[in-house]
Amino acid sequence: MLSLTQVQKRFGAVEVIRGVDLSIASGEFVVFVGPSGCGKSTLLRMIAGLEPISGGELSIGGIRMNETAASQRGIAMVFQSYALYPHMSVYKNMSFGLETARMRKAEIDRRVRKAADILQITPLLERKPRQLSGGQRQRVAIGRAIVRDPKIFLFDEPLSNLDAELRVQTRVEIAKLHADIGATMIYVTHDQVEAMTLADRIVVLRAGIVEQQGTPLDIYNKPANRFVAGFIGSPKMNFLDVSAAAGGGDAATIGLGASRFSMSIRRGFDASEPLTLGIRPEHVVTGGTAEIDLGTLAIVHVEQLGGQTIAYGRLADGQALNVVLEGQRRISAGDSLPVGAMAGGCHLFGSDGLRLNS
Amino acid sequence: MPNAAAASARAVQGDDLAGYGFLLPWLLGFLLLTLGPVAASFYLSLTDYSGLSAPNWVGIENYTRIATDDPRFITAMTVTFTFVLLSVPLKLIFALGVAVALNKGLTGLSFFRAVFYLPSLIGGSVAIAVLWRQVFAGDGLLNQALHTLFGYEGPSWIANPSTSLYTLVLLAVWQFGSSMIIFLAGLRQIPQDIYEAASIDGAQPVRQFFKITLPLLTPVIFFNAVIQTIDAFKAFTSAFVISDGTGGPIDSTLFYTLYLYQEAFTNFRFGYASALAWILVLIIAAFTALSFLSARYWVHYDD
Amino acid sequence: MTEVVRAPAIAFPAAPSRADIGSPWRRAFAYALLLAVTFVLLYPLLWMVASSLRPDSEIFHSTSLIPQAPTFDAYSRGWNGLSVGFSQLFLNSLLISVLVVIGNVMSCAMAAYAFTRLRFRGRGFWFAMMLGTLMLPQHAVLIPQYIMFLKLGWVNTILPLTIPKFLAVDAFFVFLMVQFFRGIPRELDEAAVMDGCGPLRIFLKVILPLSTPVLATAAVFSFIWTWDDFFAPLIYLNDIEKYTAQLGLRTFVDSAGQSDWGALFAMSTLTVLPIFILFLMFQRLLIEGIATTGMKR
Ligand SMILES: Nc1ncnc2c1ncn2[C@@H]1O[C@H](COP(=O)(O)OP(=O)(O)OP(=O)(O)O)[C@@H](O)[C@H]1O
Ligand SMILES: [Mg+2]
Repeated sequence: MLSLTQVQKRFGAVEVIRGVDLSIASGEFVVFVGPSGCGKSTLLRMIAGLEPISGGELSIGGIRMNETAASQRGIAMVFQSYALYPHMSVYKNMSFGLETARMRKAEIDRRVRKAADILQITPLLERKPRQLSGGQRQRVAIGRAIVRDPKIFLFDEPLSNLDAELRVQTRVEIAKLHADIGATMIYVTHDQVEAMTLADRIVVLRAGIVEQQGTPLDIYNKPANRFVAGFIGSPKMNFLDVSAAAGGGDAATIGLGASRFSMSIRRGFDASEPLTLGIRPEHVVTGGTAEIDLGTLAIVHVEQLGGQTIAYGRLADGQALNVVLEGQRRISAGDSLPVGAMAGGCHLFGSDGLRLNS
Repeated sequence: MPNAAAASARAVQGDDLAGYGFLLPWLLGFLLLTLGPVAASFYLSLTDYSGLSAPNWVGIENYTRIATDDPRFITAMTVTFTFVLLSVPLKLIFALGVAVALNKGLTGLSFFRAVFYLPSLIGGSVAIAVLWRQVFAGDGLLNQALHTLFGYEGPSWIANPSTSLYTLVLLAVWQFGSSMIIFLAGLRQIPQDIYEAASIDGAQPVRQFFKITLPLLTPVIFFNAVIQTIDAFKAFTSAFVISDGTGGPIDSTLFYTLYLYQEAFTNFRFGYASALAWILVLIIAAFTALSFLSARYWVHYDD
Repeated sequence: MTEVVRAPAIAFPAAPSRADIGSPWRRAFAYALLLAVTFVLLYPLLWMVASSLRPDSEIFHSTSLIPQAPTFDAYSRGWNGLSVGFSQLFLNSLLISVLVVIGNVMSCAMAAYAFTRLRFRGRGFWFAMMLGTLMLPQHAVLIPQYIMFLKLGWVNTILPLTIPKFLAVDAFFVFLMVQFFRGIPRELDEAAVMDGCGPLRIFLKVILPLSTPVLATAAVFSFIWTWDDFFAPLIYLNDIEKYTAQLGLRTFVDSAGQSDWGALFAMSTLTVLPIFILFLMFQRLLIEGIATTGMKR
């Protein structure tokens, strides 16, 4: 229903969005993630119509929208700072857009009251934004989007100004809202948990390019490249330099320190190519049941989180490796731990950073 | 790509229309009332225009005459520079002193601030010039007070060419309030912990004033000095009212602007007056430039 | 000029609570000094008001601030002391000042909006030009403007005093508003764009309502400066029935000056009165305006 074809954005000579292709189905919840400055907001604002599109095409419902005015695109946006009009009451904040569109008073009133009801802000309708708490302002901002009955909702880091507890609560409410009204939602966030829990599909951006898109689990399980692998998942994935002892066909023998193991791969490579093995800290195995032996981990630091224990250490060849262990373990700095991994939990990246194993 | 170019061109054009729409009044004003007249006045300054016949080109004759053959110009310059060089420093010192006194955490600050500001709000009006004329007249308030207090019979300060200018300086200093407000705001910006640190270092109040307050206040002093100086060069109303528009007695209050006014609007020597106007503009510009150059040596900026 | 002569952009933080003046003696001394300054500053003003309530015979023999037998005689003498009643002159002043306020606020706000919120070709260039005019003394344009208005037949009407203000010639107010508008979050404009507003509606419904402090500051200063202005009316108005109160007062000095000081003081008091009332009403606004922008008076 919404599609971007080779969309570009230049600010002067600087290309900020560099050819993005994306197609979003009706009712889908899509989350944009990526490091700061990668162009998430810019992309969102181009969809909204706040930023002219320098190249490529944006279409909604099969109609080209590049030149269409923001208010004509059937889109509503919730801003990071909420951008509530400080001089208008909550009611007026929500009705302003409808009045601009010259909707009938009765219909405006019906919509505002319905949205207020959904968001449980009816008692606040006569207040001014400065008389509201952060969470209430957030709801009004969402309410202002809802009344317009848009086909697409855009959110730019809507929860980043809330405290941790409220953030979780509002996150759940946004998920519920999506389920209830079934509109398409595009959501920008820094927060991995938000991305993983809300998204039907995550789009990972870096420097104006889509690095990978897929369901949250797809991206977690099969990161397309080293960047995505490192970006998604917390604590961050371990990356170990490994060598390819032998390669060819669809399997390769990988050497890490003294140990040798075999992985199935998608493309051939030179024996001299430096490879990277990625293992998430939570996938490191400490029993004797590992398919791949990583040797002994000399622990340098331990963090006890209660439900988990995080151990920071070094392998025999000096490479750093972090391990997340379930439960409370009696280990401390100076100890050593035999570590290994299951083949399914390993990711192999070529020197170009792309995923090598299937 | 052609699509995109067209799109952005359109988007830009849309804003062009609105932009120039909103800017139109200013733009008209700028072109018709500023840029045009600036050029015209420069041209006029090179003519003998009198408003009656078409302007005749005279080259730089107006300027050479001003420089070499115009005793009233010299008088006007002397009067104006005396006024500027006396009134601005006095006003600033007074304003700074009062601001420092007010900044000591006394209660009633907002009362004093308002009261001290009042003269500078109304000081430029004709009414105050009228009042000044009476206060410093021979039988005026000042002499009455001197008589009552000391039995001293003062002269007419206004009618005496050796004192008349100083009554105007006094009037300017009387209007120290707005500079004081700016100083006060500047003083409030100086972080208290600097003073605390200095006290711990054993610096006495006087030393603190000269070593901390004054250096940190130099940007504000600079700002006030530039603004007040430009304003002092342009002073007009009080001199006009007090001297009945003559600049008297015997040209002792012939402010530059007053001379300019007389040349332009009583003698209708528009060409000559334009040259005078340009000299004033150049003096102000030169003074400002000089201030900025000197600022490097004494104004302390954080950034 | 914006580079170095920038007004220290600050409001007033809470007064330092430091008990700097330790001893009661020093405190008392400071108060005595401030009260003395207050007295010297205000004495002439109060004396002028007192004298306007005195019979003429008393004026030159009394330095006291309390008239013995207050009378409003001088006011009625002064009010009709010119061939045209002062009521006419006050109305003229009021009309001009109100028009100037409207013109300044409207045109400067429009220009500031264009400079801060609209992207159009040449914006940077025009903005630089606007900054350039900030410090241009009006003497540079005075004579050609006069000749132009003379040729237009506008001299001896209020047009030269008012029409330019509708063309945002007071760059200072444009600058003031530019500074203020820059502080209004851009996301509000964008929210309004999403709500279907074009530039005009954003200006009217979002920017202006949020800018009341700066609009009020500009309005009050415009009014006071215009009310007080002497030079422009002096040049442009010839007939006494078109005079402003300031011009009338100065004419009155010539006609009655040496003989009827009471009436002169009465009219002086009245011409200052509107400013004084505005001062009482908008004291905070005025003082903050000075403190944050460095306006000269
Ligand atoms: N108006 C602009 N002019 C020039 N460059 C801009 C403009 N807006 C954004 N950029 C640049 O474009 C890049 C992308 O900015 P954008 O705001 O989209 O990043 P983001 O992914 O939203 O970052 P964050 O997570 O910090 O919000 C940045 O490098 C930014 O500096
Ligand atoms: Mg962003």
